[in-house]
Amino acid sequence: MMRRWLFPLVAGALVAGGAYQATLLATPYVLMNAAMKKIGARGPENRFAFGEMATADNQPIVRPSPDLSYSTCVFNLAKGPVLIDVEPVPDHYWSVSIFDARTDVAAVRSDRDTGGKAARLALVKAGQKAPAGYEPVRLEHDRGIALIRILLADPAEFPVIDAIRRKSTCKVL
Amino acid sequence: MKSWHRFAICVTLGLIGGTAFAVHQVRGGLGDGTVANGPWTTGKSFGTAEASALTRAKVALSGLLALPAKEAMYFTAKVDSDGKALDGRCTYLVSGGKLDGRWWSVTLYEGEGWLVKNSANRWSIPAHAATQGEDGIWSFTVAPDTQSGSWLPTGGVKAFDLTLRLYHPSATLISDPAKASLPAIKRLGCI
Repeated sequence: MMRRWLFPLVAGALVAGGAYQATLLATPYVLMNAAMKKIGARGPENRFAFGEMATADNQPIVRPSPDLSYSTCVFNLAKGPVLIDVEPVPDHYWSVSIFDARTDVAAVRSDRDTGGKAARLALVKAGQKAPAGYEPVRLEHDRGIALIRILLADPAEFPVIDAIRRKSTCKVL
Repeated sequence: MKSWHRFAICVTLGLIGGTAFAVHQVRGGLGDGTVANGPWTTGKSFGTAEASALTRAKVALSGLLALPAKEAMYFTAKVDSDGKALDGRCTYLVSGGKLDGRWWSVTLYEGEGWLVKNSANRWSIPAHAATQGEDGIWSFTVAPDTQSGSWLPTGGVKAFDLTLRLYHPSATLISDPAKASLPAIKRLGCI
């Protein structure tokens, strides 16, 4: 009796292990894809969308910070390198982070890293070259999200910060 | 029962069981590879290629687009300093001293990480908004009803969590978050 179930049980255990790993490995891609779809609905690919401050009625992603202004660009390297130019915001914390399709951070540059100057990143995949003046960020996936965070000391600052951040660009070379 | 029936049953159960166990673990909060410090927990590999498959999946679910530790650390509390689950119908005093980073804020979330509707339209307390005591200890109150001083509303939800964001944390904090001096969360009473 037990012998007849031995191989089916081993096969079931192997399948269970495989399904467990496959689910864990697929989860970031699936959720990132959903985020790119949701964020991408705000504007065209390879262009920054400048979101309003997060509130209970405006939560494009989980765990948004209501103290930070978020600007997002869903990028796609299929047609060439994507250039990210971030306008610095004086006397404020700001950063730009590049997330790949697996949710890993490929690069983060903040005002501390640039000494308060603009951040200029070229997102490239194998075979693509960064133009002069841009720091290359190498990616293994075509798609991902570039995210600019700017800390507001007071919500009343938003119009001034908003005007500055709109000078930041995300575009195909 | 034929042999292929036995295989079909076991493989189907394995497929369902393996997937369900993974979903259960991913939804089980940020427990994998995390560090505990009082009521707070954090992970040291959020957003990095070194993160395990389970950590990456958990962060994707409840902290998508999180930054790595050198840029920001995220400490989450689902319980108070006595280990009791945070309840939006209770009042808490959150207090602490200087935190070892450039800037911090505490945000209140419900569920998998959503801001809660409340009458004050306030969802976080940044460092400069906390009440500063003469002894260098800052504090604020977390409560369902309006409070005097610095107040973070719970919206009266049954369960919530607090996320402490610490931007540009010190090297000491990054290397040993378990020993960092983090805020206390004291329950004062419930409705």
